[in-house]
Amino acid sequence: MDRKELEAKVLELVAACYKKDVATLSVDTTFKEDLAGASVQMVALVSEIENELDATVMLADASGCTTVGDLVDLVEEEL
Amino acid sequence: MSILDKLYEKAKQNPQKVAFPEATNEKMMQAAFETGRDGYIIPVLVGDAAEIKKLIAERGYDESVFTIVDINEETYKNELIAKYVALPDTRLKEKALNRRMADPLYYAMVMQKVDEADVTFAGIDNTTGDVLLAGQMIIGLKEGISTISSIGLCDIPGYEGSEGSLLAIGDSAVCTNPNPEQLASIAISACDTVASLLDWEPRCAMVCYSTLGSGQGELIDKVTEALKIANERRPDLAIDGEFQLDAAIVPAVAAKKVKRESKVAGKANVVIWPDLNVGNVSVKLIQQFGKADAYGPMLQGFNKVVCDCSRGAPVSEIKGNVVISAVRAAGSKKL
Repeated sequence: MDRKELEAKVLELVAACYKKDVATLSVDTTFKEDLAGASVQMVALVSEIENELDATVMLADASGCTTVGDLVDLVEEEL
Repeated sequence: MSILDKLYEKAKQNPQKVAFPEATNEKMMQAAFETGRDGYIIPVLVGDAAEIKKLIAERGYDESVFTIVDINEETYKNELIAKYVALPDTRLKEKALNRRMADPLYYAMVMQKVDEADVTFAGIDNTTGDVLLAGQMIIGLKEGISTISSIGLCDIPGYEGSEGSLLAIGDSAVCTNPNPEQLASIAISACDTVASLLDWEPRCAMVCYSTLGSGQGELIDKVTEALKIANERRPDLAIDGEFQLDAAIVPAVAAKKVKRESKVAGKANVVIWPDLNVGNVSVKLIQQFGKADAYGPMLQGFNKVVCDCSRGAPVSEIKGNVVISAVRAAGSKKL
C-alpha cells in the first residue's frame, strides 16, 4: 500500500469513527480542534486500524497525534 | 459490622467468577487465593499455565482453589474468539483479537465479555491506562454512556445521612473535566453502581456552588445542562440539582433552599461533583477532616464490571476491592 492509499484508508476510518463526512477531512485535520472527539472515539479508531490495516498502534501514541497526517505516519511505521 | 464486612458476607452468598490476568504477581495471587479459599469468589487465573502452576507450588498454595486458564491452549482460545466475534457491537475482528489475546489482560476480558467470567481484576502490573483501554476495546461502554468514570464509597464517622454514615461520591478519580453529556453519564452510572453494590434506591444530587439558580455562570450552566440530559436519558432515576452540598445532604438546609418537590434534596445518598478538581479535593477533605474510610475508586460505565487496583495496593486492599467488584457483578445481573 503506498502513502496515498494509506492516507485514504486512514481518512475513511477517521470519518467512520468520528461520524464525519470523509470529504470534509484531510491529513491536516486536527483531532483536538477539528474533530473534538472523546477518548472513546480514539479507542474505536485504534481498533479499526488494527482490524483493517493489521497495524497495532498504541492508544497513548495515537492520542499524541495532532493531525490525521501524524497518525498516518504512525501507522506507516507499524506496517 | 462495617460496610466492608457486610459486603464480604454478601459476596459469600453468591460467589462470582473473577478472572485474574496478573495471576503471577505475588500479591495478586495471594489475594486471589485467600478470597477463593474463604468462599467469597471463584478465582480464575489467566496466563501461562505452566508458570502459574510452578508459582502456586513454590508459594505453597492449594492449587485446587483455583481454576487455571492457559492462554497458550488453542482450542479454548478459538472457542472464545468465535463466541466474541459473534456478538453484536464488538470492536475487534478475529485476527486482531487473536493477536491481542496473547496478553492475559485482553484474554481475561474476552472471557468476561462472553460470560465465562463475571469480573476482570487487574491493575497491579498493568497501568490504569492499560486497563481502561482494554476495557473500552473488549468490554465496551454501556448504551447511552459517553465516558468511563468512578465512584467512591465513604464511611464517615459521625455523619448521619440518609444511609447512616455512608455516602457515595463521584467522580473523584477518572474523568477530568466532563462536558455536560459526560457529567450526565457519571450521574447515571453512579446510580447503577450503588444499586448493584448496595441495593440502595439511588438519590443522586448534582452539586456545585448554586442551589436552584441562587448563583449564575458557566460552571453552573454545565451542571444544569447535565441534569437535563440525565433526566431525559434515565427518567426512572432520581437525579436532581443543581444543589449546594448542604442542600443535597442536610434536610434542614434543603427545607430552606429547595422550595419545590424533590426526591433528592436533603437526602441524597449519591453526590456528583462538577469536575475532578472538586472531586479530588473533596474526597481528601472527607478523609482528612471527616476521618472517613473511602473505598474505591470503582470504575463504572463499562458494559460489565472492570476493576483497576492501585499498583501500590497491599493485599488487604486488593482483597476488599476484589470482593466489592464481585458483589457489583452479582448485583448488576439483577438490574
